Amino acid sequence: MVEKRLTRRSFMNRAGLAAAGAVLASCAPQATPQPAAVPAEATKAAIAAPTVITKGTKLRVALFASQVGEGFTAEAAGFKKKFPEMDVEFVPVSGVDWEEYIGKIITQIAAGNPVDCCLIATEGTQVFAGQNIGVPFDDYVKRDQEELKEFFADVHPALVESMMYEGNLYQLPTQFNAPNIYYRSDQLEEAGLSRPSETWTKDDFYEIVKKLTKKDSSGKTTQFGFGWTNRLWGSWTPWMFVNNSNLLSEELAPGGEWLWDTFYAGVDAAKGRKGGWRWLKPQANAEANVEALEFMVEMVKEGYTPAIELGKGESLEGFFTSGSLSMVPAGGFWVDGVNASGLTKEQFDVQFWPKWKSQRHQFGGAGYAILSGAQDKDAAWEWVKYDVSKPAMEAFYQTNTTTPTRRSMMNDARYGASGPKHWQVFYDTLDKYPDTAPIPAPKQANPMTNLLTKYTSLVMSLEKTPKQGLDEMQVDLEKLFAQG
Amino acid sequence: MAEFNSLTSKAQPAHSSWGSTLSGRRKREAVMGYLFIAPVLIGLIIFTAGPVLVSLGLSLFKWNVFTPPEFIGLDNFTRMFDDRETITSFFNTIKFVLMTVSGQIVIGLLLALSIHGLKKGILRDYFRVAFFIPLISGATISIVMGYLFHKELGAVNYYLNMIGIPSIPWLVKSNWSMITVVIVSVWQALGFNFLLYVGALQNIPRDILDAADVDGAEGFARLWNITLPLISPIILFSAVIGVMNNLQIFEIPYVMTRGGPGDATRTVVMVIQQAAFKNFEIGYGASLAVILFGMIMVVTLIQFRMSRSWVFYQ
Repeated sequence: MVEKRLTRRSFMNRAGLAAAGAVLASCAPQATPQPAAVPAEATKAAIAAPTVITKGTKLRVALFASQVGEGFTAEAAGFKKKFPEMDVEFVPVSGVDWEEYIGKIITQIAAGNPVDCCLIATEGTQVFAGQNIGVPFDDYVKRDQEELKEFFADVHPALVESMMYEGNLYQLPTQFNAPNIYYRSDQLEEAGLSRPSETWTKDDFYEIVKKLTKKDSSGKTTQFGFGWTNRLWGSWTPWMFVNNSNLLSEELAPGGEWLWDTFYAGVDAAKGRKGGWRWLKPQANAEANVEALEFMVEMVKEGYTPAIELGKGESLEGFFTSGSLSMVPAGGFWVDGVNASGLTKEQFDVQFWPKWKSQRHQFGGAGYAILSGAQDKDAAWEWVKYDVSKPAMEAFYQTNTTTPTRRSMMNDARYGASGPKHWQVFYDTLDKYPDTAPIPAPKQANPMTNLLTKYTSLVMSLEKTPKQGLDEMQVDLEKLFAQG
Repeated sequence: MAEFNSLTSKAQPAHSSWGSTLSGRRKREAVMGYLFIAPVLIGLIIFTAGPVLVSLGLSLFKWNVFTPPEFIGLDNFTRMFDDRETITSFFNTIKFVLMTVSGQIVIGLLLALSIHGLKKGILRDYFRVAFFIPLISGATISIVMGYLFHKELGAVNYYLNMIGIPSIPWLVKSNWSMITVVIVSVWQALGFNFLLYVGALQNIPRDILDAADVDGAEGFARLWNITLPLISPIILFSAVIGVMNNLQIFEIPYVMTRGGPGDATRTVVMVIQQAAFKNFEIGYGASLAVILFGMIMVVTLIQFRMSRSWVFYQ
């Protein structure tokens, strides 16, 4: 027998070769995990009979980590009680914003470790649906329509429509936020102003901002009239909406009659609704958008608005509650944070966005989507259906870190103690302004938002004029959309 | 003689048996050695060498996660020359590294020299802890820094205004935002360099310093001719580590500025993260990672090569 000594060199050679081989093999395209594309028609046959949950059924559900609290624990406990035989794992995913959260979910798919079901906001609805990694709910909804009638009757059709893509429904909305104007009532009172009217105009708004802004003897602003955060939702984009414009062209996809005729027959707010939104062409440098951004710049130059930052708006919340800011765009999700900072309902309130050419608002919603790679789609559907049920939503929405989509849950019991006094504004945004629409979020939403915030920051730092910034943004957006 | 021969002939097998035992022992020792280093080696292969090779492989593909990867050769590498954002990010990163590493070395050294001179132990310990704490504060400190450096509502401008300095647009203007990110990065990593230099200063042999005293070396001459050469290996170490870490800067600009205004503080790793995990251009992100990897290797080699002329080993 020939004895062969294991030298360091030979060991390293062998180990290196083995590792390199393994790694390169893992790089091979055929080894890359791929989500299975499931067109709407393909799911039909599979969804004939009611779901049967057998012992050992596994389900992985992802949601935004910041939404994991007592409410979610109670909701999850209810589901486990309903389906004791199901092995459910909830995966909290953190993120600075929805874009980052969506990126992480998709990274999990790329890594071959996808969840079955995940909470997705408007920012991701078409990313998932448009890339065929979401499962359409149409046949599930048709099958279980009797159970779901009560849900749809309680939810504004604009929210449902925002979760449709090319005629198919991909999510059931359970939460939404429309940017309204939060204001410090105590500061308004101090300035001798009363609550702005529902139909206040952009000019009324400007006058109020001017009066609320305080400057010291050196001309330095000590209290700003209005502030906003640089992002897609609720930044300067609502000003595009009320100026009858948008970042992208808008049209409605055909289809969706199956849903509207079944659940919203005779409902005025559902008239004219179709199969979801299409945002196909960039129009960043449209005259109305330039005008809207010029308005923002003017307020910065006058010292009415502080430096604009990126992010979720935490610093705005801090500045608002500390009294440095008088008015801010925000939705129902702000209530808990404002209360936690010590503001009472006597000190703050909310009003609709001011009217310019129109008073069309925007909103972002969220609901669970089922991924096409889900091990057991029927089990995932049971979670989705349970999540939209009244008991589950009542369990989850114990706090006001977002706004529930059910009209019946928007009541004095929810906001009576916490404020705002005019909490009806949150849902009335949909009811009184039926042309209110989702933020533009096509399948290119992530890189598009990056371009929006990038050029907005250059304009707001006064390094580019609104026209220059939006012209350059338009060029980049056109390149992005040309890639398909 | 025969007896002798028989002894030697008996001894031979004994010797050869001893030799084979030794060989077996060596073999066992080698195996044990490899077993001991195996956890680290396996970790390196899986978590370092593996991802490098995977990135190298992925950089040759166009892959958006949703559709099957498509082999495109070196297209991802050539694409970056037409990508203004990527080119800017490389320049930003180089600018950032130059400012941050030199700041960390110079200020760390100055602080270490001043603390080294302190006689009182408590005061010295206090400063050591005070300078080290930012290092363990992690990314969360960047959020706080964002508040502090807010142009109108931040504490930094508040105190500057109190002493008559007008508000600085720290995070608002392109030229200032990079400086702000550098200030925070230097402040955060200062503790590491500071501790290294304090240790190095304490290890300078007393007799060399005494000899310098006898020769009349004082003040700057002593610092320049005695102290700095003696701690030069540590300076090299901190420079190498500093360059490596700062070429990969991500969390501070990401949290404080998100790369803005415009692309003013966008770094290479931010573009990699954006390409791969936000725009789902995995191949392009991987190609940038490969370039950055090569850049770190080359810069480190240059540092070591250049160190021959200024690093003094005792």
